[in-house]
Amino acid sequence: MPMSIMEKIPLGRDSHLTENLATFVELLRCEGLPLGTTELIDALQALERVDLSDRTAFKIALRAALVKSQRDFAAFNRIFDHFFVDFDVHQKRVEQSNQYQQEQQEQISLADQDLQFKGESLQLSDDELQQYSSMTQDEQSRLQDFLHKTETGKNVEPRFRPLLENVVKSHLRYCRNRDSEADNNASGFEGDGAGSGSTSADQNIREKDIEAIRSSDMPSAEHLLQQLSRKLAVKILRRRRVGPRSGALDLRRSLRDNMRFGGVIFNLKRRPKRRSKQQILLLCDVSASMKQYSTFVIHFMMGLQDVVRNLSCFSFAEQVENLTPELKGRSGLQHVLESVVRHSKNWGGGTNLGSSLEELSRKYPDYLNAKTTVIIVSDTRTVSIDRALKALEKLDDRVKRIIWLNPLPLERWPDYRSVNIIASKVEMWPCNTIAQLEEVLTGRL
Amino acid sequence: MDLNTLRKSFDKVGYICDESTLLTVFLAIDLQKPILIEGAPGVGKTEMGKVLAEILQTDLIRLQCYEGLDETKALYEWNYQRQLLRIQMNRSLEEEQIREEDLFSREYLLERPLLRAIQAEKPAVLLIDEVDKCDPEFEAFLFEVLSDFQVSVPELGTISAKHIPVVVLTSNNERELSDGLKRRCLYLYLDFPEVEKEVRIIKAKVPGVADRLSWETARVVSHLRRHEDLRKKPSISETLDWVRALVALNRSRLDGKLVADTLNLVLKTHADQQYFTKEIGPDGVEKILKSTDDGGDMCRCQ
Repeated sequence: MPMSIMEKIPLGRDSHLTENLATFVELLRCEGLPLGTTELIDALQALERVDLSDRTAFKIALRAALVKSQRDFAAFNRIFDHFFVDFDVHQKRVEQSNQYQQEQQEQISLADQDLQFKGESLQLSDDELQQYSSMTQDEQSRLQDFLHKTETGKNVEPRFRPLLENVVKSHLRYCRNRDSEADNNASGFEGDGAGSGSTSADQNIREKDIEAIRSSDMPSAEHLLQQLSRKLAVKILRRRRVGPRSGALDLRRSLRDNMRFGGVIFNLKRRPKRRSKQQILLLCDVSASMKQYSTFVIHFMMGLQDVVRNLSCFSFAEQVENLTPELKGRSGLQHVLESVVRHSKNWGGGTNLGSSLEELSRKYPDYLNAKTTVIIVSDTRTVSIDRALKALEKLDDRVKRIIWLNPLPLERWPDYRSVNIIASKVEMWPCNTIAQLEEVLTGRL
Repeated sequence: MDLNTLRKSFDKVGYICDESTLLTVFLAIDLQKPILIEGAPGVGKTEMGKVLAEILQTDLIRLQCYEGLDETKALYEWNYQRQLLRIQMNRSLEEEQIREEDLFSREYLLERPLLRAIQAEKPAVLLIDEVDKCDPEFEAFLFEVLSDFQVSVPELGTISAKHIPVVVLTSNNERELSDGLKRRCLYLYLDFPEVEKEVRIIKAKVPGVADRLSWETARVVSHLRRHEDLRKKPSISETLDWVRALVALNRSRLDGKLVADTLNLVLKTHADQQYFTKEIGPDGVEKILKSTDDGGDMCRCQ
């Protein structure tokens, strides 16, 4: 830590508190809270002003300084309750920890007695002895048999000892690697690159078919979607540049620009024309064939909801459902997905685009006007395509534009009649990877 | 100002808040950090700025944010008309050549809210309202003011705050604010109040309201807020308007018909009113009033 920062940390009260708080902040960072040293200093300064024995005040002070978004409250509360515990609980944990360490020591000692050559212990590290203790009874017996047979064989000399130690160490290393691989597989971990947010990992996920993205890749994918949401938001918010004859006279700018001519106005400056606010209506197919894509699109919608104001989100399969309130609730992706899956009548069902679009026009007329851009995310597989086509044409008359994002790979489009029919009526783009989604939304919207 | 004094001051001005809000505001004042208040519209975010100005007996300087707000409207602007007049006068009087420094001096500077706040003779309360409505570029511009309490005017140099103002930023949470802005602030989230707290607010703000009416109104509003399909949930200010209207109508209790008749005071869109008629209706209101699951202890209404 740089000296200048160290000087700012109020250590007067208790340096243990500073260390504990730094650990606490580290844990919050692991939960995704964007905390830096500034927040740590703020937290310590806040604690200087409250009664540390008042747990509620202590918690509120930390929360005010460390949590900057309502959706992080849950993570903060969970970690706080686990980290800052009552003295009794702390004592109990210390006792448990001591007991655990004692047990470990005993196991190491037993392992040391088991793994001997000609009455003398092998030169093994504590980690290696620990690995031996964690092996099954059969495995331990096999290793002991091997040692026993070796030391009771013919012409066995003490100089064999280093060789034997190497064999035992190799076997223990093999067992450790095998166990750790099994653990990683169980937790869905695939190595250093996966989920670490590295650029190459991000790039791979960008190009990957969304359907093939696994749960272990989700953190990287979520990160990418968040970036895309922000990029799109900036695009939507960006204003038009001032043109020479674009709007009403801007007296202030004109005067300022003509100061160099002694106040004689040579150049007129005009106000930029306001770009009318785009309204975006996202209509996402959540039928059985679209499940994986829908998860992504809902995540993407959540990101957009954070940064774009005039965005409404609907899901459809056989009916239309308004997801906007859920997404505005900001209760986190998992909660939104669970809520959509649990409460949705549509999730995983069949698709009836025609009836869904008719219902959308009937029930939500306020959302559909000349400023609205409708983005439909669907693979076009629907019943009664003729009805769907008619409803789509009617919708097209009411709104500014319809953009269709099709998660089917481009090469498979000719195989589906519905794709060809709908693509002849509305603007359709393939979007079966995040890169394609980005290209369409930033390039076409 | 210590925490107890602040608590008493809040009570005195009738701003009902919980301990968490109180402590966060106290820390923001004491640490001289801006406070970012988020929450749904109408929960008392802007009111906090006004209340703090009243409590601290100082000026409230308000900057209302909107799309397209820039530094010329928020920070400073040169008085071009006056500068031009000076040039023209100088020319007609045939005095010596006017220097650029003369034109770009404090005399020709128009102070906007941010500059006014840091130039104030005593610590002011600077309310930057609905910061989520301004453009991200302007948000970045606020960094210098909020972290160092100074502003840079190219022609004059850096102007530092005479007194660090109490800064209150509010956001309706319509878009995510940048990490940079959040990092410079303490954070407070104001949620819709519980029934009991809302009753206290009603009683503080609408003197003479009947106990029963305040409890029943708070319970109905609380119930309405649970309906996620409402496009605009009723805020505290709408509750207060509603209660004031009911008091003006000499009502001391609610019933289904009265709620339906005065619905436009609580639900402000046609779609929401239709939703109410279809999903709740006068009968639904009667059920809410009869139930006690909102924490509305009827014996307290007597």
